[in-house]
Amino acid sequence: MKKAFFICALLIYGLLAFQQQSSAEKMSHKEYANMPLKDCNECHKDQGIPLTHDNDWAGKHHQNTDWMGEHRALAGKGGANCIDCHTQSYCNDCHTGGGVDAELNRTTFKLNYLPKNHRSDFISIHPIKAKDSPQTCLRCHNQKYCTDCHSRFPKGSLRIKSHNPLGSGAQQYVASNWRTDHTYEARRNLQSCQACHPEGDVCIQCHSSGKVRPHPRNWRSGNFKDKSGGKVCLKCHMPGTY
Amino acid sequence: MRMKHIFRTIICGSVLFSAVSAWSAELHGRSSTQFLWFNSIFTGEKQSELAELLRFSVTKIDAEDKLTLHGYGRISHDVQNGDGFENRLFYLYADYSNLYDKLDIRAGRQFVNNSAGSALIDGGMVNLKNVGPVAFSLLGGRNVIYGIDGELTKGGDTVFGAAATLTGYPRTDAEISYFLKKDTDGVARETVGAMFKQYLFQGMKVYGNTRFDTASETFEEVLVGAKYFASVDLVISAEWYQSYPTFDYTSIYSVFAVDRYQEGSVRADYTINDMFAVRAAYKRQDFGEDTVGNVYEVGLKVRPLTNLIVDVAYDRRHAYAGDLDGATLDVLYDYTPKLQLAGGIAYDVYQRDSMTGDTTAKTFWLGTRYKLDKAMSFDLRVQDNVDVGDFKHDWSGRTAFNYDF
Repeated sequence: MKKAFFICALLIYGLLAFQQQSSAEKMSHKEYANMPLKDCNECHKDQGIPLTHDNDWAGKHHQNTDWMGEHRALAGKGGANCIDCHTQSYCNDCHTGGGVDAELNRTTFKLNYLPKNHRSDFISIHPIKAKDSPQTCLRCHNQKYCTDCHSRFPKGSLRIKSHNPLGSGAQQYVASNWRTDHTYEARRNLQSCQACHPEGDVCIQCHSSGKVRPHPRNWRSGNFKDKSGGKVCLKCHMPGTY
Repeated sequence: MRMKHIFRTIICGSVLFSAVSAWSAELHGRSSTQFLWFNSIFTGEKQSELAELLRFSVTKIDAEDKLTLHGYGRISHDVQNGDGFENRLFYLYADYSNLYDKLDIRAGRQFVNNSAGSALIDGGMVNLKNVGPVAFSLLGGRNVIYGIDGELTKGGDTVFGAAATLTGYPRTDAEISYFLKKDTDGVARETVGAMFKQYLFQGMKVYGNTRFDTASETFEEVLVGAKYFASVDLVISAEWYQSYPTFDYTSIYSVFAVDRYQEGSVRADYTINDMFAVRAAYKRQDFGEDTVGNVYEVGLKVRPLTNLIVDVAYDRRHAYAGDLDGATLDVLYDYTPKLQLAGGIAYDVYQRDSMTGDTTAKTFWLGTRYKLDKAMSFDLRVQDNVDVGDFKHDWSGRTAFNYDF
């Protein structure tokens, strides 16, 4: 009962707060586009609205390490007012490539501007960084981007931690305890498998129908069957058996 | 064929610009002519590229300035190996805003996003606003995917999206959205997203963002954060984030079980005075199966003179799949109002494999910018990556002549 009362009180407070705010309109910042950020505080402080562009703004991509994701939440919404001050190229240079406004401290990969978290020898470091949260890479890179790069190296020429060389041009996944080791590694970073084996041919050898089940516990086979027309299911299962 | 396409684009562009000059419309933008040199990571050979980047906006086309045109693209040529031209169109769209004071329409190539997804599309986006406390947006078109050297888009790659966004509340943002991605084999992704932001009291902000994958029925990402502005000079942030890797439903990888990743972060940024600002952060990572990691960062920004900024940072990652210790130093010096000098070092020690021990990655760079006048500037930047792959010194650099119009 106390819990219900608390929730109701919270909702009423929320509605009142919304009602109070509804008389005000979100203001355009176009006329302030060229103002130094430090001067923004003069208005923001009076209204109790902290600056959005603080030191850590866009931290996930612009600091040395992948810190806060605030800009993801705010810039991602429809009707975000970024466009009041920034052209779309400001987003593009990080998310899709480019470099028309490249600052001196920005390096490039081929012709494209690199965000600051892609520092020093990122080619060598990226296998570590990609392990942190592979979903973060997908914010800017399509999975095809990984395959596009990895496919240009001869099979067996990349130094993959878990793959031992078998001679020139060949590697094999080698683990002291195959069943557990490869399971942990694949479950934590399946994207890295896909980078070199886009069709998953090596996985299917053991995980196809009647062998070791690859699906998670709460597997919703119907959803996948409906959405992809069952094409993925047919890679392992006979028609009518899934 | 490609040359013909480029030629056609240039002709169309010229006609457009000459037409614009005949109107009272305003044309603004930037032209950046760049020469870049680097070693190819694929062949090890030197590569030199001459590139022209053009970004423009045409405004005041109509009396009420409702219609605007925006473009941004790049054309480049490998002048060393003669590998031909490459071009990328990042965006080229027409924007008509406030139609009947309710509709914003954008058509052409553009970067679109809502809380459920983002994409570069050839298509359109329509925003319906001023119809109450909620605004609506619809988007859709061909999904443009760029790879290392060019476009990887295939027939059937399309995206569609919709969003309902709360408006009119200066202290509150909220949205629910939908994002659908298709490829030649059918539906590749179907995601429902949501975000919120709320300012509380004097100087507190909470925010969040989530994406729900409808096929696996899992939250592929959840982010919840709070930021406390204790004073103008002190900002304290905390976040919790989790992700569950998802794959296109048309890929065999979508059927495999994966582990959830979680992290919790805290961070403090403190501006001591006009000369010193410090920051410190800590992140706890959880990779699942009882595997955890720790990441730390400390940083210092010093401004000993009004025209000199020195930024030093150190971070350490000790976690699953390798350790990484790194430090960076960036210096920016306005020697005169027209001449800017810059330089920096990035030094990383990493261990990917216990068999190989520690490896270092060192980068040294120097740059300068000279402003010829308000509209024109010239950049030069040179970088040396030491001990990278087969290179003792992997030199790369760029020069750029920028013209703002």
